[in-house]
Amino acid sequence: MPRPLQEQKVLQDQVKEIETLVVDGMDISGHWNRMFGQRVIFDYDYDNLMKVADLPGGESLNWCYGCAKCTAVCPVDIVGDYSPRKIHRKTQMGIDLFKSDDLWLCTTCMNCLRVCPKEVNMIQIMPAVREQAVLNGGVPAELQKAFEDTAKTGNPLGQPQRKRAAWTDKAGVDVPIIADLGRPVDILWYVGSYPSYHPRGMDAASAMARILTALGVDFAILGKEEKDDADSMRLAGEKGLFEMLAEHNINAFNKYEWNEMVVTGPHEFNAFKNEYPKYGFERPIFHYTQFLVRYLDQLKDLMQHEVNAHGICRVTFHDPCYLGRHNGEYEAPRQLLRAIPGVELVEMGRNRENGYCCGGGGGGMWLDSFTKEHTQMRLSERRVLEAVEYQATVLSVACPFEVSRFEDGAKSTGNDQLKVLDILELIDKAING
Amino acid sequence: MPSDNVLIIGGGPAGLEAARLLSDIGVKSTIVEKREYLGGTPIAERYAALTHGFHDAETMMNTMIAAVTDNPLVDVRTNTVVTASEGEAGNFRVTLAKGGNGSTEAVDAGAVILATGFQHFDPGRETQMYGYYEYPDVITLADAEGMLKDGHFRKPSNGEIPERVCFIQCVGSRDRQIGNEYCSKVCCGISSKQAIEVRQLSPTTKVFIFYIDMRMYGYWENEIYWPAQEKHRVQYVKGIITEIIKKGDRLLIRGEDTTMGRPMEIPMDIVVLAVGMEASQGTRQMAQIFGIQQNKYKFIDVPHDSLNPVATSVPGIFVAGAAAGPKDLDDSIGMAGTAAIKAAGLVRKLALA
Repeated sequence: MPRPLQEQKVLQDQVKEIETLVVDGMDISGHWNRMFGQRVIFDYDYDNLMKVADLPGGESLNWCYGCAKCTAVCPVDIVGDYSPRKIHRKTQMGIDLFKSDDLWLCTTCMNCLRVCPKEVNMIQIMPAVREQAVLNGGVPAELQKAFEDTAKTGNPLGQPQRKRAAWTDKAGVDVPIIADLGRPVDILWYVGSYPSYHPRGMDAASAMARILTALGVDFAILGKEEKDDADSMRLAGEKGLFEMLAEHNINAFNKYEWNEMVVTGPHEFNAFKNEYPKYGFERPIFHYTQFLVRYLDQLKDLMQHEVNAHGICRVTFHDPCYLGRHNGEYEAPRQLLRAIPGVELVEMGRNRENGYCCGGGGGGMWLDSFTKEHTQMRLSERRVLEAVEYQATVLSVACPFEVSRFEDGAKSTGNDQLKVLDILELIDKAING
Repeated sequence: MPSDNVLIIGGGPAGLEAARLLSDIGVKSTIVEKREYLGGTPIAERYAALTHGFHDAETMMNTMIAAVTDNPLVDVRTNTVVTASEGEAGNFRVTLAKGGNGSTEAVDAGAVILATGFQHFDPGRETQMYGYYEYPDVITLADAEGMLKDGHFRKPSNGEIPERVCFIQCVGSRDRQIGNEYCSKVCCGISSKQAIEVRQLSPTTKVFIFYIDMRMYGYWENEIYWPAQEKHRVQYVKGIITEIIKKGDRLLIRGEDTTMGRPMEIPMDIVVLAVGMEASQGTRQMAQIFGIQQNKYKFIDVPHDSLNPVATSVPGIFVAGAAAGPKDLDDSIGMAGTAAIKAAGLVRKLALA
């Protein structure tokens, strides 16, 4: 028995019409399949909003006064229908965020918080709500797989732990493992999962190894003692997994003597700099761009090759959310890029504080198909189009998540001419030709 | 010989403050109050807590009243009205009529301060808005103040604790058809204050505020609006209510949720109409008696350039508080100080001349 209209909760109000639709051989295209959602709002059942507000970290969702500044800068809303203001409104109207697909669309890029007058903090709200969803088993399958792979193998790619340093074979230089050295080193380089296992990540890792060697840096890596930082797992709701890996990594870090740590990825940088101190680990941590910029003069002497034999190369830079907005580093990557011979640095409209998001953060890296179902195009594809719009020939990056995302985006949008390169690859090319 | 007395009409917050300040600097005044008691609207309408600050209205007003009671420089005339005035700045001769026996008396004054205040908009007056006189559970901000003062916020129709209460903003304000085109300035804050009080009194009650724009100027934003939402979990919905329909023993409020662009029909147990301010009868009558210009809304016209908010069209007559248009208490008290010093300056200058 269908319930009377007024008792039914229909939370969509759009008119839906599918352009081409054939069902059982019958053409019901266009207006023949038009469907209407319920128009009238019969209640504001805001208990679901308060369920979020009652969670430690979830309080600020209830602070939204609807100014919608967030919507304009939310990278997801540009390709879909989503923003913190909309989430506040929907939960105020009865949507259960704990069970809603909306829960998994936020990449924790932090652009909303940057502009929010009420400090509604999705960087705290999202992990808090997702943690409950994880406990209740409501995680999208592909993200669940990444969680399980990380728990099992120590990295979200599901690769064997013992092969974590296998990439060094092709680096062309000696990459010392700290356990084998048997002495203190100046720089402990945390390589990260994607640079260790992903083919394009390995390219950047190898470039880094060659650059450090050319600079004469006394460095070593942890090799098979290194595991994923799992910061993105934490933001995706798997706090337990994060803590487990944090304990492992902190033990590994503390086992050896070193002066400073350099990390390849902004997510790892964020984890070690801002989260690990909560677990008692507090040491000098630098993103590779911050570290290399110290050697700028030496690098300039070393970089004798034009990166493009055919002339000046228009390079744009995509600010990683977790290097820029989350940790305030905008200049180091740009200083490096400007020093590379043959590079003309061009800025995209959205840069620095207002940089767009590649879609990989906050678990987005492992929600590609899920997010695609809810958006017109991938965030990475939208960013590629912006790079093309500003006539860049190279989209340079400083986060291991981004190379593969943008390369896929360049292909899927028909912009194969756009090269996607880590800054490390550009520097390496300028040094070694 | 010019008079060194200042006549203050109205014994509410502005009038009391003017009298107290005048006595502080040694100037005589006469307070004329038509009610049998001092304290003005906060006492007459049984306000619970004052906005802002959340202090008990009766206690606060009693402190003000005590400052003028048995004060040798303040002549308090309650149950008294002004019936006529003649003369000019320095030499006003004003006729006072005592209520009850109707005896009259002439009082001299060098200056006059009008502090005759406002009255709440009556939502049933012309348009039967929102069924105010039809549904017992539709009340006004002023009605709600009394209920909150009694610590008893129940459905007037059956005495039950309300599951849901909502406030409808801008009732009788910002309305060309009603004739009150102005914003009444304080209602957003008063509604939010009352919403907090309802939530404190009855934690199971859900409270909503439906609004066109929230006008929480200055510190009312962070002292009232933000705590109402963040701490007391009052739900603010942008979109005003057009009409109320009776459904069973509840009220169905109908309007548009403008953020969603969808109509709403939400059941409520008590609907509080955030009625605005209008010129009081006393303000209208005094304008006639003293020949003072009124603006199109019948408040005292202040021909000012923002730098003289207490001047009227008649030299020697000053205005303080909501007689000059919608005011919050802070503004009314500030105006009382300005009016008092201007009145004192005038009578002293004339005395020296």
